[in-house]
Amino acid sequence: VRVVVADDETLLREGLARLLADAGIDVVGKAGDADELLRRVELTRPDVAIVDIRMPPTQTDEGLVAAHEIRRSHPAVGVLVLSHYLESHYAMRLLEEHPERSGYLLKDRVKDVAVLVDALNRIAEGECVLDPTIVSRLVGRPREPSALDELTERELEVLALMAEGHSNEGICKKLFLSPKTVETHVRHILLKLGIGAAADYHRRVLAVLAYLRA
Amino acid sequence: MRLALVAALSTLGIAAGIYSLAVARDDPAFWFAGASARGAVALLGAGWLLIGCGLAFWARRRAGGFGPLLAAAGFAWLLLEWNNPGIGSPLAFTAGLCLYASCPPLVAHAVFAHRARAAIVVGYVANVLLLGVLPALFFDGPSQGCAQCPANLVLVADRGDVVNRLYRIGVDLGFLWSATLAVLAFVTLVRGTGAARRAAWPLLVPGGVYLALVAAWLADSRARGFLGHDTLDRRLWLAQAVALAGVALGAGWGALRAHRARTAVARLVVELAHSPPPGGLRTVLAQIVGDPDLVLAYPLEGAGRLVDAQGRPVELSAGTTQTVLVRDGSPVAVLAHARGLLDDEQLVDDVTTASRLALENERLQAEVRARLEQLRSSRARIVAAGDAERRRLERDLHDGAQQRLVALSLSLRLLRSRLATDADGVRRLDAAAAELDRATAELRELAHGIFPAVLADGGLAVAVRALAEDGPVPIRIGRLPDARFPSAVETAAYTVIAEAATTATSSVGVDAECRGTVLHVEVETDDTSLDLGALQDRLGALEGRLGVERGAGGRVTIRAEVPCGS
Repeated sequence: VRVVVADDETLLREGLARLLADAGIDVVGKAGDADELLRRVELTRPDVAIVDIRMPPTQTDEGLVAAHEIRRSHPAVGVLVLSHYLESHYAMRLLEEHPERSGYLLKDRVKDVAVLVDALNRIAEGECVLDPTIVSRLVGRPREPSALDELTERELEVLALMAEGHSNEGICKKLFLSPKTVETHVRHILLKLGIGAAADYHRRVLAVLAYLRA
Repeated sequence: MRLALVAALSTLGIAAGIYSLAVARDDPAFWFAGASARGAVALLGAGWLLIGCGLAFWARRRAGGFGPLLAAAGFAWLLLEWNNPGIGSPLAFTAGLCLYASCPPLVAHAVFAHRARAAIVVGYVANVLLLGVLPALFFDGPSQGCAQCPANLVLVADRGDVVNRLYRIGVDLGFLWSATLAVLAFVTLVRGTGAARRAAWPLLVPGGVYLALVAAWLADSRARGFLGHDTLDRRLWLAQAVALAGVALGAGWGALRAHRARTAVARLVVELAHSPPPGGLRTVLAQIVGDPDLVLAYPLEGAGRLVDAQGRPVELSAGTTQTVLVRDGSPVAVLAHARGLLDDEQLVDDVTTASRLALENERLQAEVRARLEQLRSSRARIVAAGDAERRRLERDLHDGAQQRLVALSLSLRLLRSRLATDADGVRRLDAAAAELDRATAELRELAHGIFPAVLADGGLAVAVRALAEDGPVPIRIGRLPDARFPSAVETAAYTVIAEAATTATSSVGVDAECRGTVLHVEVETDDTSLDLGALQDRLGALEGRLGVERGAGGRVTIRAEVPCGS
């Protein structure tokens, strides 16, 4: 997988590039701000651009804006936004508009190279990725009695993986289940939550997230 | 004393009128009025109207010298007829000889009051001195071709040449000033704006017409060298009589209007005794003064600036006249209005006296409001400064400390991969990395608690939905406005909701809606240990309100209203 890394903090940018290189990822470019990132992407056409959400000049959501720009002008280039924000609002701003080839992870993940590489691979293959911490907050949030209470432990696990953007095969591998079992779980979950059986993978992720956020 | 004088002068005026008419009828050929009924009406009508009106003004001590001037003009109008050989009486003849031309400057003086002083002085010099008193000193009738003339009581020397020269200069100068003032009268009327013109026209129109007629009379006399009464002059005289009657009526109309204003003032006293007027004193005063755009401002004690009844700062526009209402030597209020509307000092006094209590009341209220506004805005600034500081802290934590910690854990990770052979080192490093993870997570929570960045980025609705994701209790979300509001408003509304969500033990219901210019936030919770004081402070700084209602089953409804300026 070929990636470009964008972060205004030199230590982080270099460290991340090094870590990814050690893990066998091909880092083809580095950028310190949004403009440079867009230039690098234009030049190197990577598989995925890793973007810090806060970048100069205002340190608010420049990274998110740049990610949208990349997804719009280079549909073949995926984006992985790294963020401090736990609120699903920021992740949804990215995923709702460009569910395919987009990912949103908390910044702490950078040291967990396995998770990072897995996310990069999934994005390169066209999936969408959402940080497990954000998903578990959504699943575990305090709520009034709902259809969620009727799900079994296992079904809740599957639901969380669906929300993280895993495909059925991904869930099989994660939970060591047969494809048939996973399909059954998924069907039950969608039925219990009243979500129409969405054939499209991306639409299914968004529908699950919308349910969890409501 | 003055009233006795006025009474005496009235009698004198009536007598002078009748006498003038009697001599004029005696020998019609020589007089302006002659024997015709029209002449009699013109002579007495104009003369008596002016005398009566002037004396009435004088008697009521109204508008300074206006009354005496008008009355004097009336007598002077009658005296014009006395400058006549056929009058018989030497005393009456001498008076007529000296003062027959003095009516125009007196009328001009009354009409223009304090304006155009130079022209009026010239008028007195030309019409009283050059055409009257001075030539009279040198006029000896019998030797200067007037065998019929009675004796001139002020004769000094018999100098026909001096008389003729003085008359010529007097006629020229008289034409000059009267024509100038006639033009000035019409220019003033044309240039004046709305309310000022409404106030001025009743006097300026007939006054200007009269002076124009006088100028025409003088122009007609220039070839001759003295003021005469040929056919044209008599017609002009008739027209002057009409114009002078107009002046008297105009003055009366002005007085009537002033009277109406005073009646309004009297009504004001009665109304103010009951309750403050709706729309404030300004509306009432605007009606009395006759200027709908009148501005009523109160000087703020010690601050050197003006405020309106609501305590808001006022700037008086340069194009207005400012009348200061004074009580006990210190200014109570300032009225800014169109020029010429409050020249009646009596009216200003009446207004000040009548509205004294109400003025004082409104001024004090304005002052309190101004001080409250100062206090409120200072409170708003303190709250805003606090919010800005929290926001800065949140950013510093995210962009500084947290960023460093993440970089540090990344470095540890890199170091670990280099230490693959040292089992003990790897174990220690993993322990350190785990500690670091906890620190990072704690820092993130801390920064999040200091200020929710999502509120500034996404607004109230987004922030409340985010709050529902990690609050300790379920939050039922009703309506939420998607619109953005000023950050102080969003922060205040959010704080109310977040505070309720933090202290609640079972669940919280949130409903927020923008109605008109007020953002209504309703939070239903079960807890009563809320720090309402802090919330009230925050809302008060924005002129908002907080209400708490305790319902059945221990539920508490908090209602916050924040003006949102949209």
